[in-house]
Amino acid sequence: MSLSGYLLLSATLFSIGLIGFLIRRDLIVMLMCLEIMFNAVNIAFASFSYYNANLIGQIFVLFSIAVAASEAVIGLAIVLAVVRNTGINHSDDIANLRG
Amino acid sequence: MNQIIEQIFYIYFFISLSILSIGVIVSKNIIHSAFFLLIFLLHVAAVFLFLNAEFLMIIQIIVYVGGVLALFIFAIMVMNIKEELRHKRFVRFSISGLIAGLLFLGILYTFVKDVRSSENVLSTSDVTLLGKLLYSYYLLPFEILSLVLLVALVGGIIIARKTPFDKEFK
Repeated sequence: MSLSGYLLLSATLFSIGLIGFLIRRDLIVMLMCLEIMFNAVNIAFASFSYYNANLIGQIFVLFSIAVAASEAVIGLAIVLAVVRNTGINHSDDIANLRG
Repeated sequence: MNQIIEQIFYIYFFISLSILSIGVIVSKNIIHSAFFLLIFLLHVAAVFLFLNAEFLMIIQIIVYVGGVLALFIFAIMVMNIKEELRHKRFVRFSISGLIAGLLFLGILYTFVKDVRSSENVLSTSDVTLLGKLLYSYYLLPFEILSLVLLVALVGGIIIARKTPFDKEFK
């Protein structure tokens, strides 16, 4: 396969993740769609690394995985705090910004 | 022959990754989307194997499947979501989100479709090269990353703990 094939795969997965993030209501599935988008970007980094014969892309994938892990921790903690404090777990029901 | 096998595997991974990520979005039960995400992450690990990134495959399985996905399932268990089965899944203006995403895919496709690359591809390299690069040129970002993980750990505990104003906020 060529580079454009893998980039097309990455673009498709990123778009599916973006659509899911925009249209799903519950907060946990929105975070899952963020993980899909992270994985799409990781595929793009790894394919650039492969087709340019350069290891720096893989280093960036490592950084991206670490940032994604910490993002999942913080996001789930925020969702848990929202659900515990307000009893809401749908994104379009959250209407107040106070506190 | 090798080319044809790679082509077949590429088509398989394209179709299955698309179906699995759509399954994450459209599945009604939230734990089903977690398991779709599990198989999705394992397929992405296999794609890393095709791109000569064995270390990334191992890290993908350890961190994502062992860490992040376990965290998701743990959060679903803690939040005890049962009423999800009779609520509607999508927001009210979901068709506009769909149009925006497809438009985004079209714009990306115009950038991606005729990209060229050099002929020499990455040979099978061992982890030693990656480690040397990570500990020499990228030492400072690596150390900053450890701080980011520490902050995420502490912040996660502080945000998710029980607060005294639970009742008055309702």
